[in-house]
Amino acid sequence: MSTFLASGPNLGRSGGVGAWLAGLSPAGKAGVLAVEVVVMLVVWQLVVGVFGWINPVFLPPPTAIWQGFVELVSSGVLWPNLLISLQAWLIGFVVAAVIAIPVGLLMGTSLPVDRVVGPIAWTIYATPSIAYQPLAKAWFGFGIGPVVFLVAISALFPILLNVAAGMRTTNPSIIRAGRVYGASRTQLYRSVYLPSTVPFLFAGLRQAVVLATIGMVVAELSGSAIGMGALIIKSVNTYQTDQAFAAIAIIVAWSVGMAQLVTLVERWVAPWTRTGRR
Amino acid sequence: MTTTTEPRHHEASPPAPLISVRDLSVTYDVARTGKRLIAIEGVDLDVHEGEFVTVLGPSGCGKTTFMNVVAGLVKPTTGTVLVDGSPVTGPGPDRAVVFQDYALLPWRTVFDNVKFGLEMQKALKGEGWRDRVQEAIEMVGLAGFESSYPRELSGGMQQRVGLARAFVAEPRILLMDEPLGAVDALTREVMRDEIDKLIQKTGKTVLFITHSIEEAILLGDRIVVFKSHPGAIKEVIETGLERPRSERSVQHDPRFLELRDHLWEALQGEATAAAVSK
Repeated sequence: MSTFLASGPNLGRSGGVGAWLAGLSPAGKAGVLAVEVVVMLVVWQLVVGVFGWINPVFLPPPTAIWQGFVELVSSGVLWPNLLISLQAWLIGFVVAAVIAIPVGLLMGTSLPVDRVVGPIAWTIYATPSIAYQPLAKAWFGFGIGPVVFLVAISALFPILLNVAAGMRTTNPSIIRAGRVYGASRTQLYRSVYLPSTVPFLFAGLRQAVVLATIGMVVAELSGSAIGMGALIIKSVNTYQTDQAFAAIAIIVAWSVGMAQLVTLVERWVAPWTRTGRR
Repeated sequence: MTTTTEPRHHEASPPAPLISVRDLSVTYDVARTGKRLIAIEGVDLDVHEGEFVTVLGPSGCGKTTFMNVVAGLVKPTTGTVLVDGSPVTGPGPDRAVVFQDYALLPWRTVFDNVKFGLEMQKALKGEGWRDRVQEAIEMVGLAGFESSYPRELSGGMQQRVGLARAFVAEPRILLMDEPLGAVDALTREVMRDEIDKLIQKTGKTVLFITHSIEEAILLGDRIVVFKSHPGAIKEVIETGLERPRSERSVQHDPRFLELRDHLWEALQGEATAAAVSK
């Protein structure tokens, strides 16, 4: 989280910890994050593993979680669950993007479409995805179907609404500049509206990554026989909380990794959004 | 007190004016109040080829609306605007605009921003255009910054890009909407003198909107003073100062001081009237 904070505006006094953090190089920031993680793990290990202030069945220490991870890998339990989850995640995410990007572009272009689709989109977006979970089971059975559905419906709206907002908030001054030089409608879309929507698209994709993962786990938590969510439930039910935590850590790693991947692709596709002169 | 003057560069035989505005009015419907807002009313103005006309007025006097009509971005409610004898029905390659907020495309490098106008006009044929773009970049003093993005440049440098983009399109008329309004005071003076030199060198016809009295006097062959509520021409004054002019060379010139006092009083009255009517 500290990386998010460091990139924000520094509203505090100049000098002090804030200024020091803001002035750090990327390597320095990674160093701070590494120290933060190590300190947290050590405290965790001490509190649970060494002093035994908390029953390790409820909160296993980091070393036990690592052992749980090794057990998951060596017993061969992890791979089938992980693969089915990632498969559902990827299919759902692609379905969401393929629907959301064109509909979002249309919403941002046409006021009538925005007025019709907008309220529906916001309503579905505002509904907690967990509410769809029992329905998804009824509609799509017990296989990968309901998971794909929940991933897709969770990822769809952040992409769609961001793309629509990007189109609508295109700087009117740049549009005027295009018109002054005689840009046709097609040229305006290609050279002005679409590029100015790109940063919004990536912001939407980043949100969608996190929400898709939530949707995936929610779908798998009950009634699923396979998948990471099912693995967490099974581990907890057999008091192997270390394995449950290992499974959660893997899901988090996937989510953070995919969000990072989106950022990397954005830097490559849209180099102008890079901050600073580096 | 509207004085029409002979064009500076064609004193032998007075040709038809390049821009001819007759009885121009623009009104807007204000949706919120249901009233009609008169932006400008009854504007008459002739601008001859090679003339530098500054348009001076308080905020909200309709001077930008006036420029937008000449640019072809806003349709007149009544009256006519002729450019080179033909009525203005929209933007055209004979006119280019320099915007107060630069209106650069943040996703394009300096080079690609400068070529934007040519690209929209579908003038990127053959190889010659690359040299023209490069020449324009060098002309505004941005050599070496071709592959920088706008966000990496200062405000003054961004406006240089805006100038190069306008010049490279080789318009007959340059419309400048407070081009130095968002630039810091020191850079403003430097760029004002540079714009003056560029215009004297290229012989373009210029409509230059400003609310700076010094800018209006130092740059203009004639100064068109606007009044507000409704926006209309209050008076047209010939500056009659020798070129080249600079702040230092004219600051003790009695003509400059007389103009400055006169315009100061005219604007002061307008500003007070505007404040009272609100």
